[in-house]
Amino acid sequence: MNLYTRMIVVLTVVGLISGGCLSVVGLLTRERIELNRQKEIEEAIGKVVPGTKSYSAAVEEKDLTVYKAKGEQDNLIGYAIYARGTGFQDVITLMFGTDPNLDKINSLTILEQKETPGLGAKITDGQAFLQFWENREINQGLTLRKPAVDTKEELAPSEVNTITGATISSQKVLDIINLSLEQVRSLKNRGKLEGEE
Amino acid sequence: MELLTILILSILVNNFVLYYFLGICPFLGVSKKLDSAVSMGLAVTFVMTITAVVSWLINHLILIPNDLSYLQIVSFILVIASLVQLVEMFIRKISPPLYQALGIYLPLITTNCAIMGLALLAALKNYNFITTVVFGFGSGIGFTLAIVLMAGIREQLELADVPEPLKGAGIALIVAGIMALAFTGFSGMIQ
Amino acid sequence: MPAKSIGQEYMKGLWAENPVFRQLLGMCPTLAVTNAVINGIAMGLATSFVLILSSLVVASIKKLIPNQVRIASYIVIIATFVTIADRFMAAFFPPISKALGPYVPLIVVNCIILGRQEAFASKNSVGRSLVDAMGMSTGFILALLLLSSIRELLGAGTFLGYQVLGEWFKPWIIMILPAGAFITLGILLGLALLIEMKTQMRRA
Repeated sequence: MNLYTRMIVVLTVVGLISGGCLSVVGLLTRERIELNRQKEIEEAIGKVVPGTKSYSAAVEEKDLTVYKAKGEQDNLIGYAIYARGTGFQDVITLMFGTDPNLDKINSLTILEQKETPGLGAKITDGQAFLQFWENREINQGLTLRKPAVDTKEELAPSEVNTITGATISSQKVLDIINLSLEQVRSLKNRGKLEGEE
Repeated sequence: MELLTILILSILVNNFVLYYFLGICPFLGVSKKLDSAVSMGLAVTFVMTITAVVSWLINHLILIPNDLSYLQIVSFILVIASLVQLVEMFIRKISPPLYQALGIYLPLITTNCAIMGLALLAALKNYNFITTVVFGFGSGIGFTLAIVLMAGIREQLELADVPEPLKGAGIALIVAGIMALAFTGFSGMIQ
Repeated sequence: MPAKSIGQEYMKGLWAENPVFRQLLGMCPTLAVTNAVINGIAMGLATSFVLILSSLVVASIKKLIPNQVRIASYIVIIATFVTIADRFMAAFFPPISKALGPYVPLIVVNCIILGRQEAFASKNSVGRSLVDAMGMSTGFILALLLLSSIRELLGAGTFLGYQVLGEWFKPWIIMILPAGAFITLGILLGLALLIEMKTQMRRA
């Protein structure tokens, strides 16, 4: 076997063996990885729309997915909205739950963020940030209360609290949610949310 | 304008070297002189932009439609290695003076985390084609910016009295740290 | 050069030829994932997996591979193991996989691995290559451990997620930021060189 042939044979064999191993590994892990992803979404939906017994994706766009959360009798008990947007440092991914009429936001959970640790990263903290998002009225859009207040009672029904020292991260979260709400409302008005039953 | 945003993001806010820690080897190795830094930066920008194009094509035309995402790593690295080889041969033939300036840095780029990092990040962020190309180009410019700034500082450092153990890589990293801190100031620029 | 004993072959990876502190290789992941000890350990283990197995394979088949295609072959072999490690982590350890992000696939361009194949595994027996790989891996893990311990302790007051330093300690946030990584590594490198210089002087 001359050199050229040898080179090609060796490369082909190495390539084939590699491809073979990877296909096996790829197939073995694919299901598990998909499962992990589903679990994460499921948990988030359960958190933001309490009492969800099942859910389905009504709209799936690049940075926005709207899930219909259904209760015991398969009735619509709320929407779980998954949204992605730019934060202070990098992308923020979150999920928030609303009632079926898009009047109120139940609560919010942050899925992915790379904000400044100790400051912007506090957006994942229940005490410091998330608790102020519970049961807010969203008809006129949400506004940020600056400077931050100490207790929930001090906030107007459509206000959310900012994090001292992390106003930009707080604002970014607000922007993502207000933007998604606009998009979801527009989709609803055009009947697009009846997609899956 | 989304493209302008991506450009600013990749050059300043998410600077390839100072935020993503990619391309440290050339960043430390080639930043001693200003002109070699500029050459390296341009070479990297060139390769990055091409890689952005090619990796997007491979990902969206071959891998994803056929459910072969797990072949991403292998295909990307092979393509990058061949790409760099091709680019080097191409430049050598087409423009010897350009080869004199850039050529020797190209083989160094192959196992440079910056290029592979670009391909992987672009795939992760899942931008469309044009945005990916802008992202590649911007990241390259960001890398060039960082390495040129570093070279400028290091040329001055040669004249300073650096403690013996810190000479070379040690002080370079500390300087990089200060630069990274400065660049953190760019965060939050994007509205 | 006199042949090293198996013990020496292993130990050199820990200090004398430590991949990060002496050879200045593999710095991208060292800086990127050492913001928490658990991340550093995970990355260290993943890299070791790839390094040890790649070295084994390369050392076993080195006679079969023509010189001209050796780099390409090594790259394919390394990339295969990296993909396996990456997929495995995504499937069974999703939170860590997410924390490490694109840096696990980036193991494929970690100069340590290709460097070892070129410098050692392609020229030595399977047994020695295995020991060399294990030594380098241990050295790498130690480097990651050191850096991430410093960064997590000073940057968050925790170790492996457990609060170690009490309320009195106000974390140095900079440690978690990229700047902290650079500066800490720079100082550690300086320290390593200083120790080496002092040892040389004592020997002279």
